[in-house]
Amino acid sequence: MKNNWWKILGVLLIIYALLFGVLTPLKPGLPSVYPFNGKSGERLDLTIEGYNTHFKEAKNQRVWLKLADRTMLGKALVANSNNSLKVSFDIPALLPTTDTVASLTLITNNEIDGTSILPSAVFIKQNQIDTLTAINTWANSPLESLHSYEGTAFPYRNVLGETIRNLYYHVSLWFAMFIMLTIAVVYSIKYLRNGNMNDDHRANALIAISVVYGLLGCATGSIWAKHTWGTWWTADVKLNMSAIFMLIYLAYFVLRGSFQDEIKRARLSSVYNIFAFASLIPLLFVIPRLVDSLHPGNGGNPGFGGEDLDNTMRMAFYPMIIGMTLLGLWISDLRYRLAVLRDKFLDRA
Amino acid sequence: MQIISEIVFLIKKDLLLEWRQKYAIWGILLYVVSTVFIVFISTGDIPAPVWNILFWIIILFASVNAVVKSFVQENSQRQLYYYQLAHPLAIIVSKIIYNIGLLFILCVLNYLAMTIVYESPVKRLELFWLILFLGSVGFSITFTFVSAIASKADNSSTLMAILTFPIVIPILGILMTLSANALGLITDTAYTNDIYTLLAIDGILLGLAVILFPFLWKD
Repeated sequence: MKNNWWKILGVLLIIYALLFGVLTPLKPGLPSVYPFNGKSGERLDLTIEGYNTHFKEAKNQRVWLKLADRTMLGKALVANSNNSLKVSFDIPALLPTTDTVASLTLITNNEIDGTSILPSAVFIKQNQIDTLTAINTWANSPLESLHSYEGTAFPYRNVLGETIRNLYYHVSLWFAMFIMLTIAVVYSIKYLRNGNMNDDHRANALIAISVVYGLLGCATGSIWAKHTWGTWWTADVKLNMSAIFMLIYLAYFVLRGSFQDEIKRARLSSVYNIFAFASLIPLLFVIPRLVDSLHPGNGGNPGFGGEDLDNTMRMAFYPMIIGMTLLGLWISDLRYRLAVLRDKFLDRA
Repeated sequence: MQIISEIVFLIKKDLLLEWRQKYAIWGILLYVVSTVFIVFISTGDIPAPVWNILFWIIILFASVNAVVKSFVQENSQRQLYYYQLAHPLAIIVSKIIYNIGLLFILCVLNYLAMTIVYESPVKRLELFWLILFLGSVGFSITFTFVSAIASKADNSSTLMAILTFPIVIPILGILMTLSANALGLITDTAYTNDIYTLLAIDGILLGLAVILFPFLWKD
């Protein structure tokens, strides 16, 4: 019991993160509006589609269109259902912008859902540009006495939707994999320093589990890519680099398999493990940052972090990383013990 | 100082061996020329981006074949003899320097052969020569070290390919981007950053090769 607390902790953390990650609802959001363009000086009738919203139940529903620092309150609100709302705007003839086509942000607020925002919701075309007159004639109705959302929920993001939960599984698998590979390198270095065969068994077991985690990371990422990018696999640099990374570690197993002599095998695979790990650093951390990529976290594409990863998500994300790592260490520990027993009983028979 | 003289001596020894067994170097040079010719026959006229890709692919395969013999050329008894005489650092560094020269000759020959059969699409020749040299350095460090690992196994040429290809891809990727610059396919004014990245990767791999090599030859 004394030595096994970390296994129990790992399993508990994973169960907690799974339950919390799946059961917590998403915040209300606005997937789309229709129509998404209009002309200045005309009446604009919008149908707003909501997600997890309570348009019908809400008593105090308000809708704004926002352009630069000016906001306009919508009129004649009719809620068809909790997720569908009709609203009208009288768009003035002149817009406070120098663009011919202005993109307006849609903001909704009520006492149940709090505030939801849809950036670039509607595009309005204006025939003539006169910013100064526009600022004076635009009836500004500032965002005041806003209600906020009560309760625990994950943020709603337009492209991601419910798949935002995949962060806990996809990203934490890669994190856990990296932690284990780092530990494997430490064991390889230890082996080269003192020649203890057990260190080599440890490194081998850790790499085996890391490769499994890597495959799972690819699979979860692939599912996510299908939802957000529309394809299972693209020629994106980070995806290619992760495929190459798998090749490196699969080559590690081929290398191990090609030696009969155990000491030679341990020494050469330790050397290769250290060399391969060092070459992974440019592969996964330098190159993807040099080129454009769809994947979050590089190439000018906003990564998770900033406004996407809020504190509610961290409550599931960090425990999941720790839990996955501990589970991986446990599995690798079992493999290691198996390898040691094999050495002891099978090879000497 | 002792090490530098050892390195110089070992390079001289490698050159002498190469001179005495001329078939090895001629074999690899012929390999490049015949590969270029096969590519030419099967493709006909090709646009510059394809030229760029084919150029580096041919270099990649020819280099693996050229370097794989570094540590299998001489029998193990004689290697044991070298290890008694020379410092391991001198052995790996001399092999790397020797292979830089060999791979640079390969690159130049490949460039000449491809210029003869196709028209050279290279717009900035001085940058292209620099890239060829940097490519030889990067490939030489990686391939020499991995050939030291692979030479210990029986199926060394297969092992050499599967162990090096994934490792060398970052270097190859940067080289292709740089050479696309030299071919005028892209105009990136900040290509010096790519060169620094390449040098940094080379530095890491060289450092590791020097640190780890002593563990490889202790049989």
